Amino acid sequence: MGETNLGALRSAPSRPVGPDFTAAVFARIGLDRYVSAASAVGEVFIAWRSDGVSALRIAGDPATFETWYGERFGRRVVPALEEDPISAAAQAKLRGEDVEVPIDLGECSPFERRVLEKAAEITRCNARPYSWVARELGQPDATRAVGNALGRNPVPLLIPCHRVIRTDCTVGGYVFGSATKRTLLEEEGLDFAAIERVTNGGFRYIGDDEDGVFCLPTCGTVATRMGSPGFVALRSADEAHAHGLRPCSSCRPIAA
Amino acid sequence: MPLVATVDCCDPDVELARALADDLDRAFEALVIAYRVRIVTFVARMLHDDARAEEVGQDVFVRAYRALQAYPAQRRETLRLRPWLYTIARNLTRNAFRDALPPADSLDYDDGNPTAALVDDGSAPETLVLRSEAWQSVGEAVSRLSAAIRPAFVMRYLDDLSYDEIAESLDQPLGTVKASAHRGLLAVRAYLENNDG
Repeated sequence: MGETNLGALRSAPSRPVGPDFTAAVFARIGLDRYVSAASAVGEVFIAWRSDGVSALRIAGDPATFETWYGERFGRRVVPALEEDPISAAAQAKLRGEDVEVPIDLGECSPFERRVLEKAAEITRCNARPYSWVARELGQPDATRAVGNALGRNPVPLLIPCHRVIRTDCTVGGYVFGSATKRTLLEEEGLDFAAIERVTNGGFRYIGDDEDGVFCLPTCGTVATRMGSPGFVALRSADEAHAHGLRPCSSCRPIAA
Repeated sequence: MPLVATVDCCDPDVELARALADDLDRAFEALVIAYRVRIVTFVARMLHDDARAEEVGQDVFVRAYRALQAYPAQRRETLRLRPWLYTIARNLTRNAFRDALPPADSLDYDDGNPTAALVDDGSAPETLVLRSEAWQSVGEAVSRLSAAIRPAFVMRYLDDLSYDEIAESLDQPLGTVKASAHRGLLAVRAYLENNDG
């Protein structure tokens, strides 16, 4: 049996706190935190609370961001000293890693939430029209409302609202500017030069006689089809049907 | 005459108190980071309940924030953070304590007449005979201390607060907290010696 003095007693093991401890305290006092992080559009501020990431904006003057945040969400946001699991996941996602990031859409209306959740389903190297989102939500007349909801996306990039564009395949508006939107989509792999060759000819869909399907020009599978022997540009769904083509199950170019 | 630096300039708590006075919201995370492990550990020892410690520890910081919000900046700036936070933790664990009364075979007695096993054997009180793997036993021994002396013992011998800080934190006279801490030490030592397996 060894002897230890009281110094050893004072070095009794501490009880470690969980990784969510600080977030839980901040949630209860109604204070959110933010960090700056690298992204495809440069440095951004990411704000979060215990439910998930609440905002993403281009990093600029911190005071301006904090004021904007307070006005939009009715809560104060302060610079974080530490990362926690939510902010770490968000930064990993912005680096291109395939991780789940909890998003807090608590401030959005139910319709806005549905629009943003639909936009979140659109994967890299793809884009879909505003009208497509409206149709998918069962509200085909709500195209303009879809655009407004996307414009209020609190977490651009993390919810890729830049992947929703106009039916004519021009990019439309974006919180960080239309030019940025197009650049983002091109960096993700959309070939606008090829897409415009289709749309400038008055074509709405492209089909592939070999696969027997037709797609939106912004479907992720299109780039590989452009040069294929069975490639065919189509002006309408009727024309596609005349070719004996069925709609692509991924981009769902027409109503089911 | 040699230059003597003031204690204040090196005391991180003084800097922290200044920051809290300047902008409570911006400085609050630093307070949480500085004290969360100590406070949750203290709460776990007081409650002898690891599962609840995290939740009660969060309560401590929520209470602290609300109190700081209500204080004028001048009071925040002069606050002695460590004893102040322990006061909140002590009060919240006392509330939680009511739900779980100390065991019937409590080690110490408030009549000032401890059993023979607990009598100081004359060895230096700062020396505990303790196996390195015995922390579980320390936790059990602490859990058997009465609510009257447990806080003073834990603050003094496990959390290393000064008697001044403990007296301030518990709002008790210096002599009382010294006596409580010492009685706790005797009781814990006796428990460890008698449960040496």
